[in-house]
Amino acid sequence: MPRIQVKQPFFANTTYFKYLQLTPAMSRYELLSPEGLRIDGRRWNELRRISAQMSTQSAADGSSYLEQGNTKIICTVTGPAEKGSGGAGGEGDASVVFEVNYAAFSGTERKKRGRGDKRVAEMQSALQRTFGSVILTHLFPRSEIVITLHILSQDGSVLATCINATTLALIDAGIPLYDYVTACTAGSSSTYMPGEENADPMLDLNAIEEGDLPCLTLATVGGGERIALCNMENKVQLSRLEGIIAVAVGGCTELRVVLDGVVRKWGTEVLRRRGESERVGGKGDT
Amino acid sequence: MPREPEPSNNEKAFVLEALQQGLRVDGRQLDEFRKVDISFGEEFGLADVKLGRTRVIARVSAEVTKPYPDRPFEGIFSITTELGPMASPAFEVGRSTEQEVLLARLIEKAIRRSNAIDQESLCIVAGQKCWSVRADVHFLDHDGALVDASCIAVVAALAHFRRPDVSVQGEKVIIHTLTERVPVPLSILHHPICVTFSFFLGGAIVLMDATLQEEQLREGDMTITLNKHGEVCQISKAGGTAIEAVVLMRCANQALLVVCQVTELLMKKLEEDQAKRVRRDNLLEASAENDRKMRSEFV
Repeated sequence: MPRIQVKQPFFANTTYFKYLQLTPAMSRYELLSPEGLRIDGRRWNELRRISAQMSTQSAADGSSYLEQGNTKIICTVTGPAEKGSGGAGGEGDASVVFEVNYAAFSGTERKKRGRGDKRVAEMQSALQRTFGSVILTHLFPRSEIVITLHILSQDGSVLATCINATTLALIDAGIPLYDYVTACTAGSSSTYMPGEENADPMLDLNAIEEGDLPCLTLATVGGGERIALCNMENKVQLSRLEGIIAVAVGGCTELRVVLDGVVRKWGTEVLRRRGESERVGGKGDT
Repeated sequence: MPREPEPSNNEKAFVLEALQQGLRVDGRQLDEFRKVDISFGEEFGLADVKLGRTRVIARVSAEVTKPYPDRPFEGIFSITTELGPMASPAFEVGRSTEQEVLLARLIEKAIRRSNAIDQESLCIVAGQKCWSVRADVHFLDHDGALVDASCIAVVAALAHFRRPDVSVQGEKVIIHTLTERVPVPLSILHHPICVTFSFFLGGAIVLMDATLQEEQLREGDMTITLNKHGEVCQISKAGGTAIEAVVLMRCANQALLVVCQVTELLMKKLEEDQAKRVRRDNLLEASAENDRKMRSEFV
Protein backbone atom coordinates (compact mmCIF):
# COMPACT_ATOMS: atom_id res chain seq x y z
CA MET A 1 0.00 0.00 0.00
CA PRO A 2 1.85 3.10 -1.16
CA ARG A 3 2.01 5.91 1.33
CA ILE A 4 -0.09 8.79 0.12
CA GLN A 5 2.09 11.88 -0.10
CA VAL A 6 0.08 14.83 1.15
CA LYS A 7 1.13 17.89 -0.78
CA GLN A 8 2.39 20.55 1.57
CA PRO A 9 1.74 24.20 0.68
CA PHE A 10 4.77 26.36 0.10
CA PHE A 11 4.47 28.06 3.48
CA ALA A 12 4.40 24.77 5.40
CA ASN A 13 7.26 25.71 7.66
CA THR A 14 5.82 28.99 8.84
CA THR A 15 3.92 29.73 12.01
CA TYR A 16 0.99 30.86 9.88
CA PHE A 17 0.57 27.33 8.53
CA LYS A 18 0.63 25.87 12.02
CA TYR A 19 -1.93 28.50 13.02
CA LEU A 20 -4.16 27.40 10.13
CA GLN A 21 -4.02 23.81 11.26
CA LEU A 22 -4.95 24.74 14.80
CA THR A 23 -7.87 27.04 14.03
CA PRO A 24 -11.24 25.36 13.62
CA ALA A 25 -12.20 27.61 10.68
CA MET A 26 -12.14 25.84 7.37
CA SER A 27 -9.36 27.02 5.12
CA ARG A 28 -9.55 26.45 1.39
CA TYR A 29 -6.88 23.87 1.79
CA GLU A 30 -9.29 21.58 3.63
CA LEU A 31 -12.36 22.05 1.48
CA LEU A 32 -10.94 19.67 -1.09
CA SER A 33 -8.88 16.81 0.29
CA PRO A 34 -5.89 15.53 -1.64
CA GLU A 35 -7.94 12.53 -2.70
CA GLY A 36 -10.47 14.85 -4.32
CA LEU A 37 -13.21 14.53 -1.72
CA ARG A 38 -15.10 17.48 -0.31
CA ILE A 39 -16.11 17.83 3.30
CA ASP A 40 -19.34 15.92 2.72
CA GLY A 41 -17.62 13.21 0.73
CA ARG A 42 -18.66 14.36 -2.74
CA ARG A 43 -16.39 14.79 -5.71
CA TRP A 44 -16.07 18.10 -7.43
CA ASN A 45 -18.81 17.49 -9.98
CA GLU A 46 -21.41 15.75 -7.87
CA LEU A 47 -24.75 17.25 -6.93
CA ARG A 48 -26.15 16.75 -3.47
CA ARG A 49 -28.93 14.29 -2.76
CA ILE A 50 -32.16 15.70 -4.17
CA SER A 51 -35.53 14.78 -2.73
CA ALA A 52 -38.59 16.38 -4.28
CA GLN A 53 -42.31 16.07 -3.75
CA MET A 54 -45.15 17.73 -5.59
CA SER A 55 -48.65 18.65 -4.49
CA THR A 56 -47.69 18.78 -0.84
CA GLN A 57 -50.24 21.49 0.00
CA SER A 58 -53.76 20.69 -1.10
CA ALA A 59 -54.98 24.23 -0.42
CA ALA A 60 -52.72 25.83 -2.99
CA ASP A 61 -53.12 25.58 -6.75
CA GLY A 62 -49.66 24.09 -6.96
CA SER A 63 -47.02 23.25 -4.40
CA SER A 64 -43.75 21.48 -4.03
CA TYR A 65 -41.19 20.57 -1.40
CA LEU A 66 -37.60 20.33 -2.45
CA GLU A 67 -34.53 19.23 -0.55
CA GLN A 68 -31.08 19.72 -2.00
CA GLY A 69 -28.80 18.23 0.61
CA ASN A 70 -29.81 20.05 3.77
CA THR A 71 -31.38 23.04 2.05
CA LYS A 72 -35.13 22.57 2.38
CA ILE A 73 -37.70 24.74 0.67
CA ILE A 74 -41.48 24.70 0.37
CA CYS A 75 -43.05 26.46 -2.57
CA THR A 76 -46.73 27.21 -3.09
CA VAL A 77 -48.34 28.73 -6.17
CA THR A 78 -51.68 30.50 -6.25
CA GLY A 79 -53.09 31.58 -9.52
CA PRO A 80 -53.66 32.75 -12.08
CA ALA A 81 -56.22 34.76 -10.16
CA GLU A 82 -57.81 38.14 -10.38
CA LYS A 83 -55.58 40.95 -9.26
CA GLY A 84 -56.42 42.13 -5.74
CA SER A 85 -56.65 45.86 -6.10
CA GLY A 86 -54.46 46.15 -9.11
CA GLY A 87 -56.32 49.04 -10.56
CA ALA A 88 -58.74 49.15 -13.41
CA GLY A 89 -57.94 47.24 -16.53
CA GLY A 90 -54.55 45.98 -15.58
CA GLU A 91 -51.52 46.08 -17.75
CA GLY A 92 -51.85 43.29 -20.25
CA ASP A 93 -49.90 40.18 -19.37
CA ALA A 94 -50.20 38.35 -16.08
CA SER A 95 -48.00 39.62 -13.31
CA VAL A 96 -45.86 37.22 -11.34
CA VAL A 97 -45.36 38.07 -7.68
CA PHE A 98 -42.88 36.33 -5.43
CA GLU A 99 -42.78 36.24 -1.69
CA VAL A 100 -39.76 34.75 0.00
CA ASN A 101 -39.83 33.89 3.71
CA TYR A 102 -36.78 32.79 5.57
CA ALA A 103 -37.89 30.85 8.61
CA ALA A 104 -36.19 32.18 11.72
CA PHE A 105 -34.92 28.68 12.50
CA SER A 106 -33.49 28.10 9.03
CA GLY A 107 -29.95 29.26 9.72
CA THR A 108 -27.39 28.19 12.25
CA GLU A 109 -28.47 31.04 14.51
CA ARG A 110 -32.04 32.08 15.06
CA LYS A 111 -32.63 35.27 13.13
CA LYS A 112 -35.96 36.82 12.29
CA ARG A 113 -35.71 38.85 9.11
CA GLY A 114 -37.46 42.17 8.90
CA ARG A 115 -39.92 43.11 6.21
CA GLY A 116 -37.70 45.47 4.35
CA ASP A 117 -34.67 43.25 4.06
CA LYS A 118 -32.91 44.34 0.89
CA ARG A 119 -31.40 40.93 0.20
CA VAL A 120 -34.82 39.33 0.27
CA ALA A 121 -36.23 42.08 -1.92
CA GLU A 122 -33.45 41.55 -4.42
CA MET A 123 -34.06 37.81 -4.42
CA GLN A 124 -37.76 38.33 -5.01
CA SER A 125 -37.06 40.68 -7.86
CA ALA A 126 -34.59 38.26 -9.45
CA LEU A 127 -37.05 35.36 -9.22
CA GLN A 128 -39.83 37.52 -10.61
CA ARG A 129 -37.83 38.57 -13.62
CA THR A 130 -36.58 35.05 -14.25
CA PHE A 131 -39.97 33.40 -14.21
CA GLY A 132 -41.71 36.37 -15.79
CA SER A 133 -40.07 35.52 -19.06
CA VAL A 134 -40.53 31.74 -18.78
CA ILE A 135 -44.20 31.60 -17.83
CA LEU A 136 -46.54 32.16 -20.76
CA THR A 137 -47.98 35.27 -19.16
CA HIS A 138 -49.70 36.44 -22.32
CA LEU A 139 -52.23 33.65 -21.85
CA PHE A 140 -53.58 35.19 -18.64
CA PRO A 141 -54.02 38.93 -19.16
CA ARG A 142 -54.86 41.10 -16.19
CA SER A 143 -54.31 38.33 -13.67
CA GLU A 144 -51.78 37.57 -11.00
CA ILE A 145 -49.74 34.52 -10.11
CA VAL A 146 -48.48 34.56 -6.53
CA ILE A 147 -45.60 32.28 -5.62
CA THR A 148 -44.60 31.92 -1.99
CA LEU A 149 -41.37 30.30 -0.93
CA HIS A 150 -40.62 29.20 2.61
CA ILE A 151 -37.04 28.45 3.38
CA LEU A 152 -36.99 25.93 6.19
CA SER A 153 -33.31 25.14 6.26
CA GLN A 154 -30.37 26.95 4.70
CA ASP A 155 -27.33 24.96 3.72
CA GLY A 156 -26.03 26.82 0.70
CA SER A 157 -27.49 27.26 -2.79
CA VAL A 158 -30.66 28.81 -1.39
CA LEU A 159 -31.53 30.85 -4.49
CA ALA A 160 -30.87 27.89 -6.76
CA THR A 161 -33.09 25.59 -4.72
CA CYS A 162 -35.81 28.25 -4.68
CA ILE A 163 -35.78 28.32 -8.46
CA ASN A 164 -35.97 24.54 -8.72
CA ALA A 165 -38.79 24.34 -6.20
CA THR A 166 -40.68 27.07 -8.06
CA THR A 167 -40.39 25.18 -11.34
CA LEU A 168 -41.89 22.08 -9.77
CA ALA A 169 -44.69 24.01 -8.08
CA LEU A 170 -45.59 25.83 -11.30
CA ILE A 171 -45.77 22.54 -13.16
CA ASP A 172 -47.94 21.15 -10.39
CA ALA A 173 -50.24 24.15 -10.68
CA GLY A 174 -50.60 23.54 -14.37
CA ILE A 175 -49.27 26.96 -15.35
CA PRO A 176 -47.72 26.76 -18.82
CA LEU A 177 -43.97 27.29 -19.00
CA TYR A 178 -41.68 27.44 -22.01
CA ASP A 179 -39.38 24.93 -20.36
CA TYR A 180 -37.93 23.88 -17.02
CA VAL A 181 -35.84 26.48 -15.23
CA THR A 182 -33.16 24.72 -13.24
CA ALA A 183 -30.46 26.33 -11.17
CA CYS A 184 -27.38 25.34 -9.25
CA THR A 185 -24.27 26.87 -7.76
CA ALA A 186 -20.63 26.43 -8.62
CA GLY A 187 -17.51 27.74 -7.00
CA SER A 188 -13.87 28.05 -7.81
CA SER A 189 -11.75 25.87 -5.60
CA SER A 190 -8.50 27.26 -6.89
CA THR A 191 -6.50 28.37 -3.91
CA TYR A 192 -3.57 30.64 -3.54
CA MET A 193 -1.25 27.69 -3.72
CA PRO A 194 0.97 27.38 -6.78
CA GLY A 195 0.12 24.59 -9.15
CA GLU A 196 -3.58 24.79 -8.39
CA GLU A 197 -4.33 26.87 -11.46
CA ASN A 198 -6.39 24.13 -13.07
CA ALA A 199 -8.21 22.96 -10.00
CA ASP A 200 -11.72 21.89 -10.90
CA PRO A 201 -14.56 24.18 -9.94
CA MET A 202 -16.91 22.63 -7.38
CA LEU A 203 -20.57 22.01 -8.11
CA ASP A 204 -23.49 22.58 -5.76
CA LEU A 205 -21.92 24.27 -2.78
CA ASN A 206 -23.11 23.83 0.75
CA ALA A 207 -23.06 26.58 3.37
CA ILE A 208 -19.48 26.06 4.52
CA GLU A 209 -18.13 26.05 0.98
CA GLU A 210 -20.26 29.06 0.07
CA GLY A 211 -18.78 31.03 2.91
CA ASP A 212 -15.26 30.33 1.80
CA LEU A 213 -15.26 30.12 -1.97
CA PRO A 214 -16.31 32.57 -4.63
CA CYS A 215 -19.68 31.18 -5.60
CA LEU A 216 -21.84 31.61 -8.69
CA THR A 217 -25.57 30.81 -8.93
CA LEU A 218 -26.68 30.00 -12.43
CA ALA A 219 -30.12 29.17 -13.80
CA THR A 220 -30.72 27.84 -17.29
CA VAL A 221 -33.89 27.36 -19.27
CA GLY A 222 -34.46 23.95 -20.75
CA GLY A 223 -31.27 22.37 -19.52
CA GLY A 224 -29.32 23.87 -22.40
CA GLU A 225 -26.94 26.77 -22.43
CA ARG A 226 -29.44 29.59 -22.27
CA ILE A 227 -28.76 31.37 -19.02
CA ALA A 228 -31.73 32.99 -17.34
CA LEU A 229 -30.06 34.03 -14.11
CA CYS A 230 -26.45 34.47 -13.14
CA ASN A 231 -25.46 35.87 -9.77
CA MET A 232 -22.08 36.14 -8.24
CA GLU A 233 -21.16 38.27 -5.27
CA ASN A 234 -17.53 37.37 -4.66
CA LYS A 235 -14.33 38.14 -6.47
CA VAL A 236 -12.98 35.68 -8.96
CA GLN A 237 -10.38 35.92 -11.69
CA LEU A 238 -11.88 36.38 -15.13
CA SER A 239 -9.87 33.44 -16.44
CA ARG A 240 -11.59 31.10 -13.99
CA LEU A 241 -15.07 32.37 -14.80
CA GLU A 242 -15.54 30.29 -17.92
CA GLY A 243 -14.76 27.07 -16.09
CA ILE A 244 -17.16 27.85 -13.29
CA ILE A 245 -19.95 28.71 -15.71
CA ALA A 246 -19.34 25.53 -17.70
CA VAL A 247 -19.58 23.40 -14.56
CA ALA A 248 -22.74 25.19 -13.43
CA VAL A 249 -24.37 24.73 -16.84
CA GLY A 250 -23.58 21.02 -16.65
CA GLY A 251 -25.13 20.86 -13.20
CA CYS A 252 -28.28 22.57 -14.45
CA THR A 253 -28.58 20.07 -17.29
CA GLU A 254 -28.31 17.21 -14.81
CA LEU A 255 -30.89 18.83 -12.57
CA ARG A 256 -33.35 19.16 -15.41
CA VAL A 257 -33.19 15.42 -15.97
CA VAL A 258 -33.75 14.80 -12.26
CA LEU A 259 -36.67 17.22 -11.97
CA ASP A 260 -38.23 15.85 -15.14
CA GLY A 261 -38.06 12.40 -13.62
CA VAL A 262 -39.80 13.70 -10.50
CA VAL A 263 -42.57 15.29 -12.55
CA ARG A 264 -43.14 12.19 -14.63
CA LYS A 265 -43.21 9.95 -11.59
CA TRP A 266 -45.72 12.23 -9.92
CA GLY A 267 -47.79 12.40 -13.09
CA THR A 268 -47.91 8.61 -13.28
CA GLU A 269 -48.95 8.52 -9.63
CA VAL A 270 -51.75 11.02 -10.21
CA LEU A 271 -53.06 8.98 -13.13
CA ARG A 272 -52.88 5.81 -11.10
CA ARG A 273 -54.85 7.38 -8.23
CA ARG A 274 -57.42 8.74 -10.62
CA GLY A 275 -57.74 5.33 -12.26
CA GLU A 276 -58.19 3.68 -8.88
CA SER A 277 -60.77 6.18 -7.70
CA GLU A 278 -62.73 5.68 -10.89
CA ARG A 279 -62.78 1.96 -10.32
CA VAL A 280 -63.73 2.38 -6.66
CA GLY A 281 -66.37 4.96 -7.62
CA GLY A 282 -68.28 2.18 -9.24
CA LYS A 283 -67.79 2.97 -12.88
CA GLY A 284 -66.85 -0.62 -13.37
CA ASP A 285 -65.08 -1.90 -16.38
CA THR A 286 -66.77 -2.95 -19.46
CA MET B 1 -45.68 61.31 -9.28
CA PRO B 2 -46.34 60.43 -12.92
CA ARG B 3 -45.06 57.15 -14.25
CA GLU B 4 -42.35 57.30 -16.84
CA PRO B 5 -44.07 57.44 -20.22
CA GLU B 6 -43.29 54.33 -22.21
CA PRO B 7 -41.82 54.80 -25.63
CA SER B 8 -44.43 54.90 -28.36
CA ASN B 9 -44.90 51.97 -30.71
CA ASN B 10 -43.21 53.94 -33.45
CA GLU B 11 -40.18 54.65 -31.32
CA LYS B 12 -40.01 51.05 -30.27
CA ALA B 13 -40.19 49.77 -33.82
CA PHE B 14 -37.59 52.29 -34.96
CA VAL B 15 -35.08 51.45 -32.26
CA LEU B 16 -35.45 47.69 -32.71
CA GLU B 17 -35.25 47.91 -36.48
CA ALA B 18 -32.11 50.05 -36.23
CA LEU B 19 -30.57 47.58 -33.79
CA GLN B 20 -31.16 44.74 -36.18
CA GLN B 21 -29.05 46.67 -38.65
CA GLY B 22 -26.40 47.25 -36.03
CA LEU B 23 -27.20 50.94 -35.53
CA ARG B 24 -27.92 52.76 -32.30
CA VAL B 25 -29.98 55.89 -32.02
CA ASP B 26 -27.08 57.98 -30.73
CA GLY B 27 -24.71 56.63 -33.36
CA ARG B 28 -22.53 54.53 -31.07
CA GLN B 29 -21.33 51.02 -31.78
CA LEU B 30 -23.11 48.20 -29.99
CA ASP B 31 -20.13 47.68 -27.72
CA GLU B 32 -19.19 51.30 -27.14
CA PHE B 33 -19.30 52.96 -23.76
CA ARG B 34 -20.37 56.58 -23.63
CA LYS B 35 -17.77 59.22 -22.98
CA VAL B 36 -17.02 59.42 -19.28
CA ASP B 37 -16.40 62.86 -17.79
CA ILE B 38 -15.08 63.01 -14.23
CA SER B 39 -14.57 66.23 -12.33
CA PHE B 40 -13.82 66.85 -8.68
CA GLY B 41 -15.03 69.47 -6.29
CA GLU B 42 -13.23 71.99 -4.12
CA GLU B 43 -13.34 69.91 -0.97
CA PHE B 44 -12.01 66.39 -0.86
CA GLY B 45 -14.41 63.61 -1.63
CA LEU B 46 -16.74 65.19 -4.17
CA ALA B 47 -16.89 63.59 -7.61
CA ASP B 48 -19.13 64.61 -10.47
CA VAL B 49 -19.47 62.00 -13.20
CA LYS B 50 -21.15 62.56 -16.54
CA LEU B 51 -21.89 59.54 -18.70
CA GLY B 52 -23.39 61.06 -21.81
CA ARG B 53 -26.45 62.84 -20.41
CA THR B 54 -26.54 60.84 -17.19
CA ARG B 55 -25.10 62.88 -14.35
CA VAL B 56 -24.28 61.58 -10.90
CA ILE B 57 -22.56 63.21 -7.93
CA ALA B 58 -20.99 61.24 -5.12
CA ARG B 59 -19.94 62.77 -1.84
CA VAL B 60 -17.77 60.99 0.69
CA SER B 61 -17.57 62.09 4.30
CA ALA B 62 -16.14 60.56 7.43
CA GLU B 63 -16.77 60.85 11.13
CA VAL B 64 -15.54 59.07 14.21
CA THR B 65 -17.94 56.62 15.84
CA LYS B 66 -18.01 53.40 17.77
CA PRO B 67 -17.48 50.30 15.62
CA TYR B 68 -20.02 47.50 15.40
CA PRO B 69 -19.71 45.20 18.43
CA ASP B 70 -19.21 42.10 16.32
CA ARG B 71 -16.49 43.76 14.26
CA PRO B 72 -14.30 45.71 16.65
CA PHE B 73 -11.31 45.89 14.34
CA GLU B 74 -13.06 47.34 11.34
CA GLY B 75 -14.42 50.71 10.45
CA ILE B 76 -17.85 51.33 9.01
CA PHE B 77 -18.48 52.00 5.37
CA SER B 78 -21.93 52.72 3.99
CA ILE B 79 -23.25 53.86 0.65
CA THR B 80 -26.61 55.52 0.21
CA THR B 81 -28.22 55.80 -3.17
CA GLU B 82 -31.56 57.46 -3.25
CA LEU B 83 -33.34 58.17 -6.47
CA GLY B 84 -35.12 61.46 -6.38
CA PRO B 85 -37.29 63.52 -8.71
CA MET B 86 -34.26 65.52 -9.81
CA ALA B 87 -33.06 62.60 -11.84
CA SER B 88 -36.38 61.85 -13.44
CA PRO B 89 -40.00 62.75 -12.68
CA ALA B 90 -40.76 59.05 -12.45
CA PHE B 91 -38.84 58.76 -9.17
CA GLU B 92 -40.39 59.71 -5.86
CA VAL B 93 -38.63 60.59 -2.65
CA GLY B 94 -39.04 58.10 0.14
CA ARG B 95 -40.79 55.47 -1.94
CA SER B 96 -38.44 52.54 -2.22
CA THR B 97 -39.10 51.12 -5.65
CA GLU B 98 -37.73 47.89 -6.98
CA GLN B 99 -35.32 49.79 -9.19
CA GLU B 100 -33.91 51.66 -6.23
CA VAL B 101 -33.44 48.50 -4.19
CA LEU B 102 -31.68 46.78 -7.06
CA LEU B 103 -29.46 49.80 -7.67
CA ALA B 104 -28.52 50.00 -3.99
CA ARG B 105 -27.77 46.28 -3.85
CA LEU B 106 -25.67 46.40 -7.01
CA ILE B 107 -23.55 49.29 -5.78
CA GLU B 108 -23.18 47.63 -2.40
CA LYS B 109 -22.07 44.34 -3.92
CA ALA B 110 -19.73 46.05 -6.33
CA ILE B 111 -18.00 48.34 -3.87
CA ARG B 112 -18.66 47.29 -0.32
CA ARG B 113 -18.70 43.52 -0.57
CA SER B 114 -15.74 43.44 -2.90
CA ASN B 115 -13.70 45.27 -0.26
CA ALA B 116 -12.76 48.29 -2.33
CA ILE B 117 -11.84 50.01 0.93
CA ASP B 118 -9.70 48.31 3.51
CA GLN B 119 -12.06 48.63 6.44
CA GLU B 120 -9.47 47.52 8.95
CA SER B 121 -7.45 50.62 8.17
CA LEU B 122 -10.39 52.71 9.36
CA CYS B 123 -10.01 51.44 12.89
CA ILE B 124 -8.61 53.96 15.40
CA VAL B 125 -8.94 52.28 18.79
CA ALA B 126 -10.14 48.70 18.55
CA GLY B 127 -13.62 48.30 19.89
CA GLN B 128 -14.07 51.94 20.77
CA LYS B 129 -13.36 54.37 18.00
CA CYS B 130 -13.30 53.98 14.28
CA TRP B 131 -13.95 55.98 11.17
CA SER B 132 -17.39 55.72 9.66
CA VAL B 133 -17.03 56.52 5.98
CA ARG B 134 -20.21 57.40 4.20
CA ALA B 135 -20.71 57.80 0.47
CA ASP B 136 -23.85 59.60 -0.66
CA VAL B 137 -24.84 59.36 -4.27
CA HIS B 138 -27.08 61.99 -5.79
CA PHE B 139 -28.60 61.41 -9.18
CA LEU B 140 -28.94 64.61 -11.12
CA ASP B 141 -29.92 63.36 -14.52
CA HIS B 142 -31.19 59.99 -15.66
CA ASP B 143 -30.34 58.89 -19.17
CA GLY B 144 -29.68 55.24 -18.54
CA ALA B 145 -26.74 53.41 -16.97
CA LEU B 146 -27.31 54.75 -13.46
CA VAL B 147 -25.42 51.82 -11.97
CA ASP B 148 -22.37 52.37 -14.14
CA ALA B 149 -22.26 56.10 -13.50
CA SER B 150 -22.80 55.86 -9.76
CA CYS B 151 -20.13 53.18 -9.40
CA ILE B 152 -17.58 55.35 -11.17
CA ALA B 153 -18.66 58.33 -9.08
CA VAL B 154 -18.32 56.51 -5.76
CA VAL B 155 -14.95 55.04 -6.66
CA ALA B 156 -13.72 58.43 -7.86
CA ALA B 157 -14.97 60.15 -4.73
CA LEU B 158 -13.36 57.53 -2.49
CA ALA B 159 -10.06 57.86 -4.30
CA HIS B 160 -10.27 61.64 -4.05
CA PHE B 161 -11.28 61.80 -0.40
CA ARG B 162 -8.81 62.70 2.36
CA ARG B 163 -9.67 62.08 5.95
CA PRO B 164 -8.18 64.04 8.86
CA ASP B 165 -5.06 62.52 10.34
CA VAL B 166 -5.41 60.90 13.73
CA SER B 167 -2.88 60.33 16.47
CA VAL B 168 -3.53 58.00 19.34
CA GLN B 169 -1.83 58.50 22.71
CA GLY B 170 -2.91 55.68 24.96
CA GLU B 171 -6.63 56.17 25.36
CA LYS B 172 -6.68 59.71 24.05
CA VAL B 173 -7.39 60.22 20.39
CA ILE B 174 -6.48 63.50 18.74
CA ILE B 175 -8.10 64.30 15.42
CA HIS B 176 -5.97 66.84 13.63
CA THR B 177 -7.69 69.48 11.55
CA LEU B 178 -7.12 69.65 7.86
CA THR B 179 -4.75 72.58 8.24
CA GLU B 180 -2.79 71.13 11.15
CA ARG B 181 -1.66 67.98 9.42
CA VAL B 182 -1.89 66.82 5.84
CA PRO B 183 -5.07 64.77 5.46
CA VAL B 184 -4.67 61.11 4.71
CA PRO B 185 -6.18 59.31 1.72
CA LEU B 186 -8.32 56.22 2.28
CA SER B 187 -6.74 52.84 1.76
CA ILE B 188 -8.29 51.67 -1.50
CA LEU B 189 -7.50 48.11 -2.47
CA HIS B 190 -8.93 48.13 -5.97
CA HIS B 191 -11.20 50.18 -8.20
CA PRO B 192 -14.33 48.26 -9.20
CA ILE B 193 -16.19 49.55 -12.23
CA CYS B 194 -19.64 48.34 -13.29
CA VAL B 195 -20.61 47.73 -16.89
CA THR B 196 -24.21 47.05 -17.82
CA PHE B 197 -25.23 45.09 -20.89
CA SER B 198 -28.74 45.10 -22.36
CA PHE B 199 -30.28 42.31 -24.41
CA PHE B 200 -32.77 42.63 -27.21
CA LEU B 201 -34.65 40.29 -29.50
CA GLY B 202 -34.33 37.17 -27.40
CA GLY B 203 -30.65 37.68 -26.64
CA ALA B 204 -29.59 38.08 -30.26
CA ILE B 205 -28.47 41.68 -29.81
CA VAL B 206 -26.25 42.81 -26.97
CA LEU B 207 -25.68 46.48 -26.17
CA MET B 208 -23.30 48.07 -23.77
CA ASP B 209 -24.28 51.12 -21.75
CA ALA B 210 -27.91 51.69 -22.69
CA THR B 211 -29.53 55.13 -22.76
CA LEU B 212 -32.87 55.62 -21.05
CA GLN B 213 -34.79 54.87 -24.23
CA GLU B 214 -32.86 51.66 -24.82
CA GLU B 215 -33.34 50.71 -21.17
CA GLN B 216 -37.10 51.03 -21.47
CA LEU B 217 -37.16 48.77 -24.50
CA ARG B 218 -34.72 46.11 -23.43
CA GLU B 219 -35.75 42.57 -22.66
CA GLY B 220 -32.99 41.69 -20.23
CA ASP B 221 -29.88 43.14 -18.68
CA MET B 222 -26.73 42.08 -16.93
CA THR B 223 -24.28 44.06 -14.82
CA ILE B 224 -20.70 42.89 -14.48
CA THR B 225 -18.27 44.59 -12.14
CA LEU B 226 -14.57 44.19 -12.75
CA ASN B 227 -11.38 45.90 -11.74
CA LYS B 228 -8.38 46.51 -13.92
CA HIS B 229 -6.58 43.45 -12.53
CA GLY B 230 -9.09 41.23 -14.29
CA GLU B 231 -11.01 40.23 -11.18
CA VAL B 232 -14.72 39.93 -11.55
CA CYS B 233 -16.21 41.48 -8.43
CA GLN B 234 -19.80 40.60 -9.10
CA ILE B 235 -22.11 39.43 -11.85
CA SER B 236 -25.78 40.15 -11.70
CA LYS B 237 -28.08 38.85 -14.36
CA ALA B 238 -31.40 38.68 -12.64
CA GLY B 239 -33.84 37.17 -15.05
CA GLY B 240 -35.02 38.78 -18.22
CA THR B 241 -34.47 37.06 -21.52
CA ALA B 242 -32.11 34.09 -21.45
CA ILE B 243 -28.73 34.42 -23.13
CA GLU B 244 -26.17 31.90 -24.28
CA ALA B 245 -23.18 31.17 -22.08
CA VAL B 246 -20.76 32.24 -24.81
CA VAL B 247 -22.46 35.61 -24.98
CA LEU B 248 -21.96 36.03 -21.26
CA MET B 249 -18.25 35.32 -21.55
CA ARG B 250 -17.94 37.67 -24.49
CA CYS B 251 -19.62 40.42 -22.48
CA ALA B 252 -17.25 39.80 -19.59
CA ASN B 253 -14.22 40.15 -21.84
CA GLN B 254 -15.58 43.32 -23.45
CA ALA B 255 -16.28 44.72 -20.02
CA LEU B 256 -12.68 44.19 -19.00
CA LEU B 257 -11.46 46.42 -21.83
CA VAL B 258 -13.86 49.16 -20.87
CA VAL B 259 -12.95 48.89 -17.21
CA CYS B 260 -9.25 49.28 -17.97
CA GLN B 261 -9.96 52.39 -20.03
CA VAL B 262 -12.17 53.96 -17.39
CA THR B 263 -9.70 53.20 -14.60
CA GLU B 264 -6.94 54.83 -16.65
CA LEU B 265 -9.10 57.90 -17.19
CA LEU B 266 -9.89 58.05 -13.48
CA MET B 267 -6.22 57.88 -12.51
CA LYS B 268 -5.42 60.60 -15.00
CA LYS B 269 -8.14 62.89 -13.64
CA LEU B 270 -7.01 62.26 -10.07
CA GLU B 271 -3.46 63.18 -10.97
CA GLU B 272 -4.59 66.35 -12.73
CA ASP B 273 -6.64 67.35 -9.74
CA GLN B 274 -3.77 66.64 -7.40
CA ALA B 275 -1.42 68.74 -9.55
CA LYS B 276 -3.92 71.58 -9.57
CA ARG B 277 -4.17 71.53 -5.79
CA VAL B 278 -0.43 71.46 -5.30
CA ARG B 279 -0.06 74.45 -7.63
CA ARG B 280 -2.78 76.32 -5.80
CA ASP B 281 -1.37 75.54 -2.37
CA ASN B 282 2.09 76.59 -3.48
CA LEU B 283 0.76 79.88 -4.78
CA LEU B 284 -0.87 80.49 -1.41
CA GLU B 285 2.43 79.85 0.31
CA ALA B 286 4.19 82.26 -2.05
CA SER B 287 2.32 85.36 -0.88
CA ALA B 288 3.38 85.70 2.75
CA GLU B 289 2.51 89.29 3.59
CA ASN B 290 -1.03 88.98 4.80
CA ASP B 291 -0.36 85.57 6.25
CA ARG B 292 2.12 86.84 8.82
CA LYS B 293 -0.50 89.07 10.35
CA MET B 294 -3.10 86.28 10.40
CA ARG B 295 -0.72 83.71 11.87
CA SER B 296 0.10 85.90 14.87
CA GLU B 297 -3.54 85.85 15.85
CA PHE B 298 -3.53 82.07 16.18
CA VAL B 299 -0.31 81.72 18.16
